[in-house]
Amino acid sequence: MQRILRMQEISKFFPTSGVQANDRVDFRVAPGEIHALVGENGAGKTTLMNILYGLEHPDRGRIILRDEEVQIRSPQDAARLGIGMVHQHFRLVGEFTIAENVVLGLEPTRNRFFFDREEAKRKVREVTEAHGFHLDVATRVDRLSVGQMQLVEIIKMLYRRAELLILDEPTSVLTEHDVHKLFTTLHRLVELGKTCIIITHKLGEVKAVANRVTVMRRGKVVAVRNSAEVNERELSRLMVGESGHLGEARRRATAASSGKSPGRNVLELKSVGLTVRGRERPLLEAIDLNVRAGEILGIAGVSGNGLEDIEDLVAGLRRPTTGIILHDGEDITGLTTQELRRRGLAYVPADRLHRGASLASSVSENMIVSQRRRFARAGILGRRSVSAFARALRERYSIQANLLLPMGMLSGGNIQKVILARELTSSTDFILFSEPTWGLDVAASEFVYDRIIELRSRAAAVLLISSDLDEILTLADRLIVMYRGRIVARLDNSGSLDKDAIGEYMLGIRT
Amino acid sequence: MRVGRHGENILVSGFGLLLTLGFAFAIVVVLILLLSEEPGAALLAFFLGPFTNSYFFANMLNAAVPLVFTGTGMALAFRGSVFNLGGEGQVYSGGLIATVICLALPGAPGLAGGTLALAGAVAAGAVLAGISGLFRMKYGTDELITSFLISAAVILLINYFITGPLDDPESNLLATRAIGLQYRLKHIFPPSRLNPSVFVALATAAAAAFLLFATRSGYELRMSGLNQEFARYGGIDVRFYLVLPLLLSGALHGLAGGLSILGTYQRCIKGFSAGMGWNGIAVALIARNHPLGVLPAAFFFAYLEAGARAAMLQADVTFELAAIAQATIFYLITAQALTHYLSLGGRQGL
Repeated sequence: MQRILRMQEISKFFPTSGVQANDRVDFRVAPGEIHALVGENGAGKTTLMNILYGLEHPDRGRIILRDEEVQIRSPQDAARLGIGMVHQHFRLVGEFTIAENVVLGLEPTRNRFFFDREEAKRKVREVTEAHGFHLDVATRVDRLSVGQMQLVEIIKMLYRRAELLILDEPTSVLTEHDVHKLFTTLHRLVELGKTCIIITHKLGEVKAVANRVTVMRRGKVVAVRNSAEVNERELSRLMVGESGHLGEARRRATAASSGKSPGRNVLELKSVGLTVRGRERPLLEAIDLNVRAGEILGIAGVSGNGLEDIEDLVAGLRRPTTGIILHDGEDITGLTTQELRRRGLAYVPADRLHRGASLASSVSENMIVSQRRRFARAGILGRRSVSAFARALRERYSIQANLLLPMGMLSGGNIQKVILARELTSSTDFILFSEPTWGLDVAASEFVYDRIIELRSRAAAVLLISSDLDEILTLADRLIVMYRGRIVARLDNSGSLDKDAIGEYMLGIRT
Repeated sequence: MRVGRHGENILVSGFGLLLTLGFAFAIVVVLILLLSEEPGAALLAFFLGPFTNSYFFANMLNAAVPLVFTGTGMALAFRGSVFNLGGEGQVYSGGLIATVICLALPGAPGLAGGTLALAGAVAAGAVLAGISGLFRMKYGTDELITSFLISAAVILLINYFITGPLDDPESNLLATRAIGLQYRLKHIFPPSRLNPSVFVALATAAAAAFLLFATRSGYELRMSGLNQEFARYGGIDVRFYLVLPLLLSGALHGLAGGLSILGTYQRCIKGFSAGMGWNGIAVALIARNHPLGVLPAAFFFAYLEAGARAAMLQADVTFELAAIAQATIFYLITAQALTHYLSLGGRQGL
């Protein structure tokens, strides 16, 4: 058998976000290899693996497993075919033992009704030892280290006789030491006849453990290589794309800034850190940054490296564990969202559907949420002033929608327009954008960029968080790069920045 | 296509509701056919009885009054996405407190004392529900459970008082002494018990609708209920709106109890409020949590009961028929509302 798996001409389009997640993807895995699937967020690798594991159905394409075409409609089908997936976020019950977690859903029984705990322990111990692991299966899972928990997830798959294991960003929660142990485990599994696919964006690991690597970008496969034949810089370039001519857009942006130098510090983060229980690594560490009036500060990085956490902190939705946040020199750490908005914070969130909008409410109701007091006299909402306001916004932002319709009926692009319209019309000196053009077409994206540049020329301070490096390089005056919760680079966007170099910072290759 | 709040087709959704109510009626018809020796008379009595004379009709309107209050109270709670399951206890305690205040002030002027009594009733209900809200806000405890448990305990406590220290030795009922004459609301259509509280009910429903849809607080309450994360993002104090809907809901339930005493019963009878809380939930669900919809919904519930009573008096059916009809509706409406709410993705948006 030459190939254990071939996913052929796989295409998947998500109408709600307008994104072609997979575009005629051809993905082949040889038996007994460790195959790395790499790409930035939004590249389509998670969607591809979700299709393989039965969590999504492709619009087009076939899956050929062990030389036979198969239909995978659900994770149960996948399990039956010997495909197992270890997710990034563990699905374990802390209070249960290892054995109980592994057999969950396939419990051995006595007399058909009683859970046979001894049998469960015996079978799990058998599987564990057969693969060379040393774990006491009677231990409670919440007493294990994170690395050991991940092992339990792997054992769960092996118990279900998985031959092809998919691991989704397996090292994102592990310490360096555990990462080594995981690689040893993967090698051992391969020796025992398994095949592994790891989804990762960490290129160093690709070289350390994988035999072959498939690189995806914007829904397409851009390269397939033997890992021995390719170096990290090359992989990085394949992942983030060519350093194109950004001059055009950049010229536009510099012209718009009309040579005014940035003013006072509007927003500052000093020694900000964020740790949560259950995660060994702090989500954010030693974050120092400042945004000045009339400048755009870009925060670049791959999703999961702290961008979302900075977003939540600056927006006032989470409190930092350490450090302070200042607005115009005043301490605003821990203020409520109401107080922050009163201070003039505007915020375009990455999560449009749950945070940025109330899908069940009408477009007008969505438009007025942050300025509701403006329309209320003596506590009563002026219906006419609300509809006048809403109509004006719709006009200015070319929103295709009936204002009385629930938001949930609008297209993704229009939802974003409503959110932008609302946030940009509040008089503001500071605005936070997170992934503002994700899923938008070119015209809509240009519209957003024009608005952002306009804000800067009105001396607002703009913080732009984005995992789209092109976007940051088009708009930002300065940028910082996040990796694993820390700032690894601070750069001025002078127009001659090396995109490859930034890509390397984002992927942890360069420090 | 006319589109409703959740993008659903209003005609289809309304039709579904009618279907449910029609189905409940169908069950009543079937039961009457099965159980009655004179089904024709029984059916006639059930469907038309309440309209045949003004006594039945007026009493039916009066029975709808507490349901308007409890229904509106539940609608407000649901709009805030909080569950007030303590309605029964809140109505009952409203009734008791109103009675106690009236009994404690035998010589006071009717208007002053009566207002005080109602204020006490409102406060009693609000406090009982508000405690659950406070616990939810501070400790994250599920108000569905706490409101129910508190109510259950309170009911037992009130029963003790009515049958014990406050019991009227001269009455055959398990009840307190009667309140002073000056406190009793005038009967508009004697001998029926219809009284001015029906106007208070209409005004309350209108006021609640106004609050929800025309005021800033109502807007904040609704946004908080539909999507708490969005509301918080927009600068709304979502913690406050965990408590406010419960306070309002409890207050209205208490008022229902107080007005029932002053208008209908004139003494606190053991169990007078049984069912007002639970039916309030069904009324709110039928009304799709719109205070103005509560009016026809409450009327409909009262109609069921009045029809059953008429069938019982004029034919040979027992009163359980009404209970069965109400239970069927409650069951079907809850199922319909549940499917609706699950399709919206869970707790938000009830």
